[in-house]
Amino acid sequence: MTSDLIYICAGSGLVGLALYRLSTCRDMLLRVLSLNVLAVGVAMLFLASARHAGITDAVPQAFVLTGIVVLVAVTAALLALAERVDGQDDE
Amino acid sequence: MSLAFDILLTIGIFFTAAATLGMRDRVGSVVGFVVAGLLVALSWVRLGAPDVALAEAAIGAGLTGALLLRSSGRLKPVERLISPPSHRFIVALIAAAFAGALAWAVYTASGAALYPALVSERLASSGVTNPVTAVLLNFRAWDTLLEIAVLFAALILVRIVAPAVPQPVALGELMLPFARIIVPMCAFLAGHLLWQGASVPGGAFQAGAMLAGGLLVLMLGGFAAPTPRLMSWGAMLALVGLAVFSLAALGAEVLTGTLLLYPDGTAKFWILGIEAALTLSIAAMLCLLFCGVPRRPLK
Repeated sequence: MTSDLIYICAGSGLVGLALYRLSTCRDMLLRVLSLNVLAVGVAMLFLASARHAGITDAVPQAFVLTGIVVLVAVTAALLALAERVDGQDDE
Repeated sequence: MSLAFDILLTIGIFFTAAATLGMRDRVGSVVGFVVAGLLVALSWVRLGAPDVALAEAAIGAGLTGALLLRSSGRLKPVERLISPPSHRFIVALIAAAFAGALAWAVYTASGAALYPALVSERLASSGVTNPVTAVLLNFRAWDTLLEIAVLFAALILVRIVAPAVPQPVALGELMLPFARIIVPMCAFLAGHLLWQGASVPGGAFQAGAMLAGGLLVLMLGGFAAPTPRLMSWGAMLALVGLAVFSLAALGAEVLTGTLLLYPDGTAKFWILGIEAALTLSIAAMLCLLFCGVPRRPLK
């Protein structure tokens, strides 16, 4: 139970850190990075609360796995858009 | 002992993430992110989720790191911190309060766990013995089908926006021996992860990411130039996974009357068939998300 608490605190800490950076920074690469950190924090909360009697529930594990794959797609799409926005500023 | 390890690990993750988001150097930020990703993968193992750890290391740290590194050189630098100190102070207070409330809410949340009993009860009839694979490709296969559709939608967006195709540069003499070891290794490990996913941690996503890593080594090492022809073949391959999965869903609907409910006793073959198609398709999609999809020249 104590180790669950450690991971819950770390997960919330990562969420707070990512929210802080998302709202104080205009650099697009750092914003995408913050989004990734936010996702890691949420996944950590999810998995830390999915443990019951030493066994991790398979359904939240599948959700987090799906989340990781969706996030890489979102990251690729956002970076492509960011590059396009930067390119248009030049014109 | 393990408690001390957990504390050190979470402190390490938090400070690596903080350093990553606070650094002025972009390449440094991306490297910090990859290091944090690997530490996070270790923490997934500690939390009893090795399937997620494999995906985090391959996709979350590896491929996302490659994508960020590609863009770090292309995006124009801007001043990092434009917010005035008073604004930052207030935002930090709000973020800290939110994080504290979140931790308190999650820690005090109670409720019976519904899923473990349901999953273990029906695992025998799912066709696989790894509960995570059973959830992903049998119990909640609908989610996974939509996830592939999301990946494909991202690919279409990247095709429309059309970022510049990365041009490989000469990387020196050690690249060839490196590729000779790493590329066959990636292909071998991908097959292994795909096959073992039925019983122990592994599966189509981890295998696909592994294969994509090998393909990127070939491409960035200059061994297989991303010609338009090769990339349109890749785009076809990217469609295969979604097509096979959708056909399987419709086929199961015809045979059993329920979408994605596989006929009795044959679930293993359905799952393996879908997973094999998904592995190739995910590898192709992740590669194309990295190097962009060529548009056919207008006539």
